[in-house]
Amino acid sequence: MSFSLTWMKDVLLQAGLKVAPTEAWEMRGHGDVGTIRGVLCHHTAGPRTGNMPSLTTLVKGRPGLDGPLAQLGLGRDGTFYLVAAGLAYHAGAGSWQGATTGNTSFIGVEAENTGIANDQPWPDVQLDAYQRGVAALLGYLGLPATACAGHKEFALPHGRKIDPSFDMSVFRAGVAAILSGTATPPELISAREPTAAPGATPRATLRRGTKGELVSKLQQLLLHVKVDGDFGGITEARVRVVQREVALVPDGIVGPKTWQKLDARSH
Amino acid sequence: MSLQSLDLAIGMIVVFLLVSTLCSAVREAIEAVLKTRAAYLERAIREMLDDKDGDGLAKTLFEHPLLSGLFLGDYKPKEEKKVAWVLANGRGLPSYIPASTFAKALLDIAARGAAIGKAANQLNGGPITIESLRARLLNPQTPISARARRVLLHALDTARGDLDQAKKNLEDWFNDSMDRVSGWYKRSTQWIVFVIAVVVTVMGNIDSIAIAKHFYRDDAARQAAVISAESIVKPGKAPNKEEARQILKQLELPIGWTKPTLPQGAEWYNRVLGWLLTAFAATLGAPFWFDVLNKVMVIRSTVKPREKSPDEASEDRQAPPAPVVNASAPAASAAPSPAVANAAAAAAAAQDELDCCGVPQTESTDDAQLPQASGGVES
Repeated sequence: MSFSLTWMKDVLLQAGLKVAPTEAWEMRGHGDVGTIRGVLCHHTAGPRTGNMPSLTTLVKGRPGLDGPLAQLGLGRDGTFYLVAAGLAYHAGAGSWQGATTGNTSFIGVEAENTGIANDQPWPDVQLDAYQRGVAALLGYLGLPATACAGHKEFALPHGRKIDPSFDMSVFRAGVAAILSGTATPPELISAREPTAAPGATPRATLRRGTKGELVSKLQQLLLHVKVDGDFGGITEARVRVVQREVALVPDGIVGPKTWQKLDARSH
Repeated sequence: MSLQSLDLAIGMIVVFLLVSTLCSAVREAIEAVLKTRAAYLERAIREMLDDKDGDGLAKTLFEHPLLSGLFLGDYKPKEEKKVAWVLANGRGLPSYIPASTFAKALLDIAARGAAIGKAANQLNGGPITIESLRARLLNPQTPISARARRVLLHALDTARGDLDQAKKNLEDWFNDSMDRVSGWYKRSTQWIVFVIAVVVTVMGNIDSIAIAKHFYRDDAARQAAVISAESIVKPGKAPNKEEARQILKQLELPIGWTKPTLPQGAEWYNRVLGWLLTAFAATLGAPFWFDVLNKVMVIRSTVKPREKSPDEASEDRQAPPAPVVNASAPAASAAPSPAVANAAAAAAAAQDELDCCGVPQTESTDDAQLPQASGGVES
């Protein structure tokens, strides 16, 4: 039942990226893809608020065009949302390095960005994940960095599309550096605090899906969230709100930096 | 499929629970001003003590030092109504009187008379005993109504010489009457809550039919509702007004009034029906819906033995969820009709022509509805 691109999950995880599968993504697609010849970079032109407000649209489509509308979504916090392992309507008419069948031959990545002035520059964490993710996909397929194109470069007639809103040659240079191994390795979030307050043990990094005493403590620090010791979707959304307030990466993961800010806020 | 319809039901129950919680909060606010329960309590006490005008024993009882501390100001008898009016006004009276306080005060009045204030400086008699009480009650000069005299004497008779038992007898008598007060109050509350629920549903445009359709179409909305349901059930107590409002907001339901949602012509019937459904459901009360939600969540946990991670397919859903609005389905079923096959062929030819960017979006995904992520953290 599954379509071909199910390998994307492990490849992205191995690249040190945050990966969130949507329900039944392996079986989503307008049929299967053909031989993959590259990756097309898009931005969603979606709303300004939230981490990936366009996700539902990518999965289900919009009036006049059924979803999936891309294989991958990229949230503002650098999380890759797995949308479809099959064919998605993302490319339209166009050409890149002789390949004209965009939807059949390219993996489409839709990154969350309004595409207009209110959302520039892109968050570092998102742009970094974008390059690492594309490099990981190309690396798995054995393709060079030049196999990655912006939608605005692919789409014909030229000027039909403006996404993504960043310079593709700079982007490709970054992808090439990662592929050649000259780039710095990805920065992972520590699994626990490096040092603890006197008389306390270092607190573990918490994320959605964890349960227990420490989650209850977190929920008390977060305020406005039910203290039930269960790190669910609502708690995660609340963590993101707090992280935005204190200018941290709003990824909903409570690592050393977020713990520190939460402590400071409660004093 | 069964899980989907169960989740839809859970979504509706969550909505009903939240709406009825809000309605109860409004009802409590009204009660805080009107104090209907206090009015019923006063009415019941006047009937118990056979004091129709509220100037005899009932007045003495309310002004007794043991009771007057339970409410502010002086006792003013309320106007007597034939029936327990749903919006009876009991301002300045206690909503609850402990049974023991009632019994103590009544015994004290029987033993020492009605005098309070300055006149109470010359109280007569020694310690209260069964014998002294009986003597005073049998004395026709004691200012106490015939019915109360009878009840008090009976309480003494059945106490077998034990003053505590006599007190307990009076408490039982009081508690029986309080059951009636609770009944009156409950009926009044149901009427008021229904009216409130109608106002809330119409003002908030909370249309059950539209919400059910929304849950039916939108997988993410159903999931969000189930997540909320879990967070409601887990603490073991129903959400309060603030939590209810927050959850209702997070669910991003198609409620509230905006221009495009104004119904046209015959749609009004559906809309009004949807409102009435919501209002009736809300009248059943938050405790009822909380109870139902708990039971349904237990059923859900047996249908779905463990919370599966989103990337594994559930056994009961072997095909990807078909989009409800789906004009052309290229992934055709086993035996496609010619029309479907043609549509599929057309779609296959067109599928390289289609793209998505830069179009206005119809629905936006809330952070709480995003799927769970892994990776990015050191192991």
